[in-house]
Amino acid sequence: MAILELSGITKRFGGLTAVNDVTFNVEEGEIFGLIGPNGAGKTTLLSCLAGDLRPNAGTVRFDGRDTTGLAADRMCRLGLGRTFQIPRPFPHLSVLENVLVAATFGDPDLHGEAIARRATEMLEYVTFPRSPATLASHLNAAQLKRLDLARALASHPKLLLLDELAAGLTPGELADMAALLRRIRDNGVTILMVEHVMRLILELCDRLSVLQYGELIAHGDAATVAADERVREAYLGQNYIL
Amino acid sequence: MLVRHRRRIALLGVLVVALVLPYIPPFTGEDYRRWLVGAAFMAAQAVAFDFTAGYINIVNFGFAAFVGLGAYTSGILAVDFGISPWIGMVAGGTVSGFVGLLTGALTLRLRGIYAAVMAWFVGLALMGLIRNVPDITRGSLGLAVPSLLESSENLPYYYVIMAMLIVTFAVLAWVIRSRYGLAFRAIGQNLAAARASGINPTRYLVINFVLSCAFAGWIGGFYAHYYGILTPDVMLTSHTVEVLAIAYIGGRGSLWGAAVIAFPLSIGVEFLKVQFSTLPGVHLVLYGLLLIVVMIYKPGGFAAVVRGLESWLIRSRPGDTATEAPPAS
Repeated sequence: MAILELSGITKRFGGLTAVNDVTFNVEEGEIFGLIGPNGAGKTTLLSCLAGDLRPNAGTVRFDGRDTTGLAADRMCRLGLGRTFQIPRPFPHLSVLENVLVAATFGDPDLHGEAIARRATEMLEYVTFPRSPATLASHLNAAQLKRLDLARALASHPKLLLLDELAAGLTPGELADMAALLRRIRDNGVTILMVEHVMRLILELCDRLSVLQYGELIAHGDAATVAADERVREAYLGQNYIL
Repeated sequence: MLVRHRRRIALLGVLVVALVLPYIPPFTGEDYRRWLVGAAFMAAQAVAFDFTAGYINIVNFGFAAFVGLGAYTSGILAVDFGISPWIGMVAGGTVSGFVGLLTGALTLRLRGIYAAVMAWFVGLALMGLIRNVPDITRGSLGLAVPSLLESSENLPYYYVIMAMLIVTFAVLAWVIRSRYGLAFRAIGQNLAAARASGINPTRYLVINFVLSCAFAGWIGGFYAHYYGILTPDVMLTSHTVEVLAIAYIGGRGSLWGAAVIAFPLSIGVEFLKVQFSTLPGVHLVLYGLLLIVVMIYKPGGFAAVVRGLESWLIRSRPGDTATEAPPAS
């Protein structure tokens, strides 16, 4: 069953068409990869799904209902979690409080003490390496990414949108992240990830879509996409790490 | 937990000092007691102001207008309708809160500085309105307002405004500790992440703004019935700036910082006004300078200084480190 159905999504900024007539489905329980060169419209597309931007045309169906143009906070409460390309913590809140925010407001089913318990659990789940009392402004980039992930998970999402979560991680951190994402999927969360780190994409994703100049140019399982002429030309051509 | 506990005891200590202050020379004199009333009045305003500026990170430049609106509401109710100032003050808070609701619904969809500027314009418009309906407000001539108390001494007024300060602080601090406070801080620190965490920003921003304006109006009601004369000047932006300076020097996002620092600052300023009576407005220059110094060297203000001192105390007693608990929500 498709948890996310996009049909004909188009987003224009003035004369520029950032996303043009994009249609695909994300099936429940899969890890779906969205790749493409810089400026291809990946983040714009995610923003259209997550409610940060309203598409000019097309419909988004999430979890069986039309959610086109719903605000980001509604989408979150409906079960869509997301991380940001550049992590956006609440800098003057502690690590625990950062996650508490999403547990408190992101999951309407959670009440009372269960909220704090959820927040603590999520920090353990992502094996957060520092004290929960640390201020978010004191974290490094890799820790911020992990915090962002814990925050997104705390709202108990059915679908998780990850925007370049692996960017800038060391090879060791990358392996940890891959294991973590697989664990999240195995716990029943569908994942849609935008990523540049091909190793992670090829290792994790069940299916891929490739975006170029705002249009979908290829679609399918990792091997098919990687073998596609247009994809090789557009994106992987220049001896990209495969 | 112990840190918070200790801080609460310290705050109670400060409160006790403030309550006995009028009996300690030189504050036994009427003039000095008037300064004390003024200080508590500024403290209460600074708390209500910081509730917005320090948490949702939107500066209400029209703050003084909301104080003035409450003052005029209560004053007019007493003058024209003979309504008790005690009820009038609450009515003043209600009217300010309601106008705050309209203003907030209008401005808080805008971001940061735009919301601040819009609130400022609303404040200026309110002042213009008060000035231009002399039939009701007597405009610049000033509206003579009946006193709150029989007594013409400052001492009972001091305890009234102290009680109002305590109520303002207690209610707003309680809200900040609730889930609302968590939403306020999240929105103020990162709007996009707050949205992505399921928070509907407009709703919480408006709630915050209305509460702040309502307390401003209530406190303004006290002002009316204490000074006994109201002019539109009560709504001047320079009054907002004074409150802002105190709130920021006390520490943004710290209600107690604003409340505590208001006393030495406000009394110091009164002292300066006496010393430099030939230089009107010198206190604003001082506020400006202090504000600059604080913003550069200690952006967390007085509250950050106290926190620094606290952790230094804890560190210097190694057996005690375990009590440095995470800040509970």
